[in-house]
Amino acid sequence: MNRGNRVLLSCVYWAFVLYVFVPLILMVLVSFKDSKFIGFPIRSWTFEWYTGVFADAQVLSTFGYSVVIAVLSTAISVVVGTWIAVLLEGRRFWGRAVIFGLTVLPALVPGIISAIAFRIYARGLGIEPGMGAIVWAHAVHNVPFVVLVVMARLSTLPKSQIEAARDLGADPLIAFLRITLPYLVPAILGASIFCLLLSFDDFVRSFFLGGYEPTLPVLIFAKLRSGMSPEINAIATVALILTAVVGIWAERFTRRLKKETEG
Amino acid sequence: MSYDAASARNERAASTLRQADRTFWGRLVNWSPYRAFAGLIGASPRRQFLILALFPILWVLTQHLGPMIQMVGVSFTDAYPVAAGKEQHLTLDNYARFFGDSIFWMPFFRTLFFAATFTFCTLILTYPVAYYLARHVSRKNQMLMLLLLLIPFWVGEIVRTYAIMILLGNTGAVNLLLRSIGLIDRPIPFMYTSFSMGMGIVYLTALYMLLPLYSALEKLPKSYNEAAADLGAGAWTRFRRVTLPLTIEGISSGCTLVFLIATGFYATPVLLGGPSTTVFAETIAGFFHVAGDEWPTGAAFATIMFVSALIVTVVFQRLMSALRKGDVK
Repeated sequence: MNRGNRVLLSCVYWAFVLYVFVPLILMVLVSFKDSKFIGFPIRSWTFEWYTGVFADAQVLSTFGYSVVIAVLSTAISVVVGTWIAVLLEGRRFWGRAVIFGLTVLPALVPGIISAIAFRIYARGLGIEPGMGAIVWAHAVHNVPFVVLVVMARLSTLPKSQIEAARDLGADPLIAFLRITLPYLVPAILGASIFCLLLSFDDFVRSFFLGGYEPTLPVLIFAKLRSGMSPEINAIATVALILTAVVGIWAERFTRRLKKETEG
Repeated sequence: MSYDAASARNERAASTLRQADRTFWGRLVNWSPYRAFAGLIGASPRRQFLILALFPILWVLTQHLGPMIQMVGVSFTDAYPVAAGKEQHLTLDNYARFFGDSIFWMPFFRTLFFAATFTFCTLILTYPVAYYLARHVSRKNQMLMLLLLLIPFWVGEIVRTYAIMILLGNTGAVNLLLRSIGLIDRPIPFMYTSFSMGMGIVYLTALYMLLPLYSALEKLPKSYNEAAADLGAGAWTRFRRVTLPLTIEGISSGCTLVFLIATGFYATPVLLGGPSTTVFAETIAGFFHVAGDEWPTGAAFATIMFVSALIVTVVFQRLMSALRKGDVK
């Protein structure tokens, strides 16, 4: 009975793995199809779509544009998020729960509403649609994730270390820079990678706050609306491989860092 | 101890101190602008706290709350952005417009219905997976098997939506499979229906359900189930009376998260849905594609959607916690 349950459940797990992987694998397969016609079966194979993508100046510049936006917005999110986390995880103060609630708000607002609200707000501030607006929206949207990750790490910091540093004459800023910050490095790195991926993959905010220059997801969306083609598969595959590699690397790297600082 | 030895030791200590002064931190601390700065911020615990708190509080008020407040504000006006030489008036017309035409409120109710249905599907799909990972897999393998599931979720919304399009198209993999085993002789039009849309949204949100469920199940001590078994409870009773009530918190937060995300999708319904499945996100977006004077209506509709989504999740969470308290007495 128990064994039967177990086998059944493991089948469910592997079926779920298939469910999340198969669509992506099929998409990658089609990117090698030697025909303009999307679909199956695939009878002959080619690399032509990839050489086309790497020769396409628009795709390449879009790619660079997305990376720059991701890096800039992540830098802002990490600084602001860490600052908020240090405040919230420090001593209790009146209104802390309200500040915490407001901090996680951008992560809970449904995508389209958040994009609309940012668009209206940017207009009110006189920010034109374009790179600055996208960087700002991504930065605000990603702050809650940094705060949550950094707070979790901060709560495990032995308070005695800070006290020891203070006893030895370090002022609060030096104690933060030399004790707290190094301890937070794994969390901050992990959160940064997560923000980079969120920003790089984001569609709805980039779409509503973008100017004439598209980010990579916006470009794929625009191409999809004018018709499917293996060229889109090739672009999507490059984006997929990049995000997956960065994600796996970050996961392993932060895990190792955490072990080192704790051991 | 001789005088010489003592003086040699003092000399060593002094040289260590001088070396400390030459490190980066030592020089920073002795640098006079830094000392002035540290004196300024560190004068009292109260001032330290104010300096630490000022920026975060300003940030969340102006950047997190500000956009939402302004959106609600704009929804009560008749023009935004205000054209030169014109005046802005307060009005409720934008809200009246919503109730006045079924082309507006139909997508709204459809969105709530779809989001709730897809959330439920996600829950049914991921609960066994989370259960298996948390209860039947060794600690070491848990992390690896979770990581395996994380990989596809790092890939963006658009790419994954496109993957679903290829899977379900008329010449897609599912139709090819069904045809080759002889179940059908004409392709089933999966695409541009609520089915394809649901498939896409469940595919995109599954992880946000899986993780809260997994952490709730993982926290649940195995001994509870063993105790129930000793008292003669069968597998189904154990699940219904022990596991399920004690993981309600995970279910509740997973469902809330997935519901909120599902109501906010824009690109996925555009790409996977059809004319009969228009969702409210598309309606709202429509007001922002045209010239500026439609923005207040879009803002009003977004406000309606946000408030409704909040009400639904709050009611749902109340219900779940009432259920939990009723069950575990």
